Amino acid sequence: MKKKKESPAAAESCHSHGVTCERLVMEALYDFEAGTMPEAERAALERHLSACPPCVRFLDSYRATGRTLRALKPREIPASLARTVFEFVKARCEKK
Amino acid sequence: MAESRVHKRDERVAPSDLDLVRRIKAGDEAALAQMIERYHARVYSLSYGVLRNAEDAEESTQDAFLTLYRKIGTFDESKKFFSWFYRVALNQAYSRLRRRKPQARLSISDHLPRFGDDGKFAPLDWPDATVAVEDEASARELARRAGEFIEELPRPYRDVIWMADVEQMPAAEVSEVLGISIPAFKSRLHRARLHVRQRLAEISRPTARKAAAS
Repeated sequence: MKKKKESPAAAESCHSHGVTCERLVMEALYDFEAGTMPEAERAALERHLSACPPCVRFLDSYRATGRTLRALKPREIPASLARTVFEFVKARCEKK
Repeated sequence: MAESRVHKRDERVAPSDLDLVRRIKAGDEAALAQMIERYHARVYSLSYGVLRNAEDAEESTQDAFLTLYRKIGTFDESKKFFSWFYRVALNQAYSRLRRRKPQARLSISDHLPRFGDDGKFAPLDWPDATVAVEDEASARELARRAGEFIEELPRPYRDVIWMADVEQMPAAEVSEVLGISIPAFKSRLHRARLHVRQRLAEISRPTARKAAAS
C-alpha cells in the first residue's frame, strides 16, 4: 500500500508556529507529556501536532514505549525472599 | 476487655523508617525483620533492573540488607533513609554486575532521532522514527527487548529510566537517591526514553517493511 504524501500546505503549517519536529521531540516532549509546560507553549505544540503527522506518530510510539517499560517491572517477587534475606543476614552476622 | 484490646491494636501505627533504624542500631532483630519486610520487594525490583536475572537479583537483595545491617551505624539520621538505602542497593547490584561480565555500553547519542537542518525528521538511512512500536511485535517480546536496550545505556541514564518508568518512582525521589537536580533528572530520563523508543523502532522496522511489501 502506498503511503499518503504530506501535502505542501500541511508541511508549511507544521513549521509555522516556531515549533519544529526537532524542538518538539528533543526539547519539549518531556514537559509536554508530564503536563509541566506553560499553557501558551503547550498550545503552540498542539498546533504543531495538529498539522504534523510524523510528530503524532512519534508521540504515539513514545507513549507506547512508556507502556512497554511499565510492563518490565518484575511481577513475581520470590515468596520466601523476606525470610531468606533475614536468615542470610543473621547467619552472616553471627559468624563474625 | 477483648474489645478494648482490639481497639488498642488498631491504633498502633507502623514505625517510621527512622524508628526502625534506631532499633536496628541497638541490635533489635525484630526491627531488622520489619525493615526487610518493608523494603525487600522494592530492593529486589531495583536489583533486577540492573542485573536482569532473578537469581542475581535475589542474591544482590541479600547483600544489600547485609550491608544495611553492617553499615547502619554510618547512616546520618538527618537524611532520608530510603535514599541512603537505595544507593546501597544500587551499588551492590552494580558491584555484582561488574563481577559477572564486561559491560558493552553505547553512547547516549548513538540511538536518538535525527533531524535535518530544517528541524524535520531526517529521511531514509535512519530507522523510521515514527513507527508505532506496539504494532510490530508482541508486548512480551517488546518488554524483553526494552530491558536489553536499557541495559546498553550508560549507568546515569539506565538508573533514571528504571526507577522512573519501570518502578514508577516520583521525580523527586529518583533525584534524591541519585543526588541529581530535577532538570538533570528530566534530561536524562527523556534521552533514555528516546534511546529505548528508537531501538524498539529499529527492531520493528523489518516487520513493517515486510507488511508494506505484502
